Order: sequence, then C-alpha cells, then structure tokens
Amino acid sequence: MRIVILIMTAVLSFGAFVAAASFTPAAYADAIPESKIDAASRAKVQERSPHDDLIQSSGKGMALMFWLFAAMTIGGALFVVTRRNLITASMGMIGSFLGIAAIYMMLYAHFLSIVQMLVYAGAIMVLFIFVIMILNRPEDEPVAPTGRFGQVLGGAAILYLVGRLCMMLMKVQPPDAAKAFAAPGADAFGHDFGTVGSVGTDLFGNGLFAFEAISILLLIAVVGAIAIARPLHEEQSDEDKQKAADAKGGAH
Amino acid sequence: MADILFNVGYGHFLVLAAVLFLIGTAAVLVRRNALIILMGVELMLNAANITLVTFSRMWGDVGGHTFALIVIAVAAAEASVGLAIVVAVFRGRRNVDVDKLTTLRH
Repeated sequence: MRIVILIMTAVLSFGAFVAAASFTPAAYADAIPESKIDAASRAKVQERSPHDDLIQSSGKGMALMFWLFAAMTIGGALFVVTRRNLITASMGMIGSFLGIAAIYMMLYAHFLSIVQMLVYAGAIMVLFIFVIMILNRPEDEPVAPTGRFGQVLGGAAILYLVGRLCMMLMKVQPPDAAKAFAAPGADAFGHDFGTVGSVGTDLFGNGLFAFEAISILLLIAVVGAIAIARPLHEEQSDEDKQKAADAKGGAH
Repeated sequence: MADILFNVGYGHFLVLAAVLFLIGTAAVLVRRNALIILMGVELMLNAANITLVTFSRMWGDVGGHTFALIVIAVAAAEASVGLAIVVAVFRGRRNVDVDKLTTLRH
C-alpha cells in the first residue's frame, strides 16, 4: 500500500513539474482560432460575462488533473472490492463518487457534477451507511474460494479482454477533429453546454416522458421500500422457520 | 507513451469508464455481502454515466446529460428498494450473505 502511494506521488510530482515547466500563458490564448468562433454567439457571451471564453480542456494541466481524479475514482472503487470493513468500503465509494464528479466537471457537465455530489455522495451513501450501522455485522471473507489454476486462468482471460477493449476505446475519434477539444461554447450550440439551463431545456423537452415516468418510478420505490422494510408481527416465529429451512438446506 | 500520458482525449475517459465498470462487476461477482453487491451495481451505473457524458461532450449534445440524470434517479430508486430488501432479509435471518440465501433454490 505504501509503495503504491509512493509511486503515485512520484508520478504526480513528475507531472506537476512537467506542467509547470511547459506552462506559458500563450498556450491558452491560442486555444481556439478566432476564425472558428461564431461571431453572434461570441457577442452573446461577451455581453453576458466580461472575461475571455477561450479555455479548453486539453494540455498538460488537464492531463495532470485527469490522472489525479482517475486515480481517485479507481482507488475508491478498488477499496469497495478489497476492504473487509463495510464502513471503509463505503468511504472508498464516496471518494470514487467525488472523483467521478470532478471527471464530469472536466467534461463540461457542470450541473451533472453537482447532482453527482448531492445525490450520490450525499444522499445514497448516507442511506448505505445508515443500513451498515443498523446491521452492524463484521465482514466475511472477500474472495470466494476457488482453485488456484482457475483464478490464474480467469485473471489472464479478463486482463486480455480488458486490454483489447481499452485498445479499441483509445482509438475512438470525435466526429469533428478540428474543434474536438474546444470549449463547447465556442460553436453554434451556444455557450451554456451542460449548465442547468441547457440540461433543463432538454429534460423538459426531449426527455419529458422519461421525466414523468421517473416521478412515478420514485413514488413506487418509496412505497415499495416502506412496504418491504416494515417489521413483521410474527418476527420470532418467522426467524425460527428460516432457521429450520437453513438446517434443511444444509442437509441437501 | 508520453502521448498517452499527456494528451488526454475522449479515449481516456472511455477507458476509465470501462475499468470502473469492470471493478463494479468484480464487486458483484466476488463479494458475498449484499451491501457490497449493491455498491458494485452503483459503480457500474456510474461507469455507464461517464460514457454517456463523454459521448455527449464529443457530439456537443446535452441529450446524454439528460439521460445520465435519469440514470441517477433510477439508481436512487434501486438503492432504496435494494437496501429495504437487505434490511428485510437481515431481520428474518440475521445475516446478509448471498451464498446462504438458498431458500428459493429447492
């Protein structure tokens, strides 16, 4: 564990050094050629905010941030798989969700990033931790026992498949290479990509039926959760019945 | 190598989502605690969301954001019902080990 932290620190400080060494303000100034910018939308953004809208999500600084938050996301997810303590696993989950929120921010999904933090890291994980506290059980063994040969074979097969998948995914090309990494505000889509306004317009326009369906789904989920988790009256006898069923199942 | 390290493109985000999905699948398959399995499902949904948002950014279309928002709402509903089932199972038999939930098998 300590070795992994050491290696990560070394890589990150190397990245920070390279980013600092190669930083020039001019690198940001020529992010988008002036000719590519739609004049009308440019005027609109100048009217709305006085600062310059030429920041794009590329370059060494973004690479450093990406690797930092990707490490946070993957590390938190690995905590979920490997830790025996349930509270530790859920804390890793929260770290993973915060990393995902930062990744969303990097992809210009501002509203979704905030929703990710509020709903996932806030509400859902609090629900998980409540249930963990109610159950209050020490954790079992994390890995199901199988043969050593099967583990090696399965691991190799999974690594091969994931390697091929990653090679395929790394070759994904954006539809328009010229303005692939430009800030989305720089073209005719308008300057509010991913904000509350644009997502809300799309949600209540194209996604209106899905929105209404979600409201019914949430209502059913609330009623169903209460109906399932409600304590039974004949709890003692039910438990005895389960014990008897377990004993019978073990005999088979 | 340096190109992969310093030029972060859309492929990086997609690979991150794929790895996250894989870890979520591993959590569902390997762990036997029902709570960890639910967390693995949440991780898989999040990986799908990252893919949606990446393609949304790639095509400049906010439809992916809308869909990711709906996925988050479905995940919240799924988590609440799943945790209610976990609590009900725990109340009946005092553990949440999925390997021991074999009553319906026979």
